Formats: sequence, C-alpha cells, structure tokens
Amino acid sequence: MKISQKIITNLKEGGADFFLSVPCKLLANMITILENDKDIYYSAIPREEEGMGICAGAYLGNKLPCIMMQNTGIGNSVNSIVSLLQLYQMPVVFLISYRGTPGEPVGAQGGMASVTEDILNTLRIPMLHCNTEDDLDKISTFTNHAKVIESPVAVLCNFNLMKDD
Amino acid sequence: MNRFELLNLLKETIQNELVICNIGLPSQELYKINDRPNYFYMLGSMGLASSIGLGLSLTVDKKVICIDGDGSVLMNMNTLATIGNRAPSNYTLLIVDNGSYGSTGDQKTFTNERTSLKEVAIGAGCKNVIECSGEETDGNLKKALADKDNSYVIISKIQSGNVPIKPIPLNAVTIRDRFRKSIGLVSYL
Repeated sequence: MKISQKIITNLKEGGADFFLSVPCKLLANMITILENDKDIYYSAIPREEEGMGICAGAYLGNKLPCIMMQNTGIGNSVNSIVSLLQLYQMPVVFLISYRGTPGEPVGAQGGMASVTEDILNTLRIPMLHCNTEDDLDKISTFTNHAKVIESPVAVLCNFNLMKDD
Repeated sequence: MNRFELLNLLKETIQNELVICNIGLPSQELYKINDRPNYFYMLGSMGLASSIGLGLSLTVDKKVICIDGDGSVLMNMNTLATIGNRAPSNYTLLIVDNGSYGSTGDQKTFTNERTSLKEVAIGAGCKNVIECSGEETDGNLKKALADKDNSYVIISKIQSGNVPIKPIPLNAVTIRDRFRKSIGLVSYL
C-alpha cells in the first residue's frame, strides 16, 4: 500500500484531479485509495480507448486527467491517442502497470511488454520508468510536465516495484 | 428526413449548450448550418463523441449534448455502460440513427438489421432512453434540456443520405481553444 499511496500522492501533487482505471491486480491498491478519496473524481471504466475520450472531455472541462491501466491498454488506444489527445494537444497522464517485465509470472504478458516502449516511442510520448521507490518522487514533476507540453505522458511502473505493495 | 435536415431542425434548440459532434459529415454539416465556438468538432477518433461528452459533463455544470451516429456508437458500445452508470444529469446523448456509415459512402450498419440501440442502451443501464422519428426529435431534445435532474439518450431514426459539403476549415487546436474559451477557460483569444 505504501508504493500505491506514494504514486497517488505524487500524481495529485502534480495536478491530476480526474482519475479513471481499467483494472489490473497491480493497480488494485491504487483503485482502493481513489475510491475513498473525496477530493478527486474517480471511476472504473470498461475499456481504455473510451477512457481516452472521457479524459479528453475532462480536459476540455479544465481537469488534468489520469488513466490507470495495464500496458496492454496502450495497444487498445493508439488511434485515440494520436487522433484525439495529440491532435488537439490535450494533456493526460497514463499511469501504466507494466506487465510482462521481470518478475511477471504470466508468460503471455511478454508480448505486449516487448512492444510497449516501441509504441510509446513511435508516438513520441515522454516516458518515466519507475523501477524503485525513489523513482516515484519524479511522478509529481512529470505529471505537471504533461500540462506544460499539452501532451500525454506515460508513467511505467514495473512489475517488481508493485508486486509486494 | 436525412441528417442535414434533422440538424437544421435542431438549430434553434442547441444554441448555448456545449455540443460534442461526431467526426466527418455530422460535424461538417453542423459547421455549415450554424457554426458556434461552443461546438466541439471531432476530426479523428471515430466512436468517441459520446465518451468525450461524458468526460466533459462530469466536469462542468452546463448541459452537454453529444451528437453521435449509429455507426460510431456501434464502434464504442462499451461506453453505453459507462454512461448508464456514471452520466450526470447534464448529459444528453443524441444518436442520429440513419442506419448507415454516412461519411464513408453510406454502407449499411447493423441497426438496419437486428440491432436496436434503444435496447442496447436500456440493457447497458442508460436512463430515459427515447427512440423517436426525426420530426419528434426536437421536442424530445427540448424536454431533455429542460430536465435538470436526469440524463437522456435520444435515438433519432432518420433516413440515410448526405449533402455535398466541404471539410471544416479549422485546425484542431483552434477548435479546442475557442471551445474552452466559450466556457471561460481561455483568456488569450
């Protein structure tokens, strides 16, 4: 719970005030924290691509949105990232549980893990890799950076960082 | 009645509300009929008009109308469940159901066959789901906008068909900024 709390605290300090999630067991503690946070909007949603749309609308209404999802969700969302968020220059923070990284027990997650960073690089989305607890201190500045550059940014939380939280 | 005629009919009713309009011909027709800064025209990401409008309605108090199409709703049907469970009372989804993918050459959609978006929306949990003719649409939309306590999904069953029209001569950031200015969030325009 300590890691999850630190991530949420940093996201909020960076300005994020509207949260969506598509579930992942690595995000479970963060989801519990958000469900009990009265200061921000939070909802679970069924699919990442619609989440990009909801985030776009929340940005139009002056929020700094954050969508929490597995890295597989990036695969589900490429067109909505390029043709909506980037086309209209809308800041959104992707908080990504990076399945398929070392420590991952499910072999099938390796496929999307092997292409996730290539996809984000191709989309020119700035990435923050979180491998240790110290890395989490950078999330606040990185979240604000999305607002400054009017663009989506991605925070990638590795499996081993999250698994025992 | 086709979509252009329907949008013309609704012109007076949707002057001041925040409108999120579906990609392609619906946006181009709305732009031609009555361009306003409080209209957000989608230039990409087919299927997401209803979702963008939901995110907006959760963050502002003004009435939000999503003008969507049957083909686009079929592309992002899971969002009807999110709308059914999360839409606030300032949210109205108007599905212009002409049974065709109008912008891509009027290929038929499944609403021409066995699919009922009314039944899907009800099953997804949406409240106040109204299916009506094009002629009845303005009255139902007025009712939705006058109701401060409920969200609505209106499915307007009309004919397919398009009018000759040009692309919208606005870039995306211009659409974004004038829309945000209309709700008081941009001061530099």
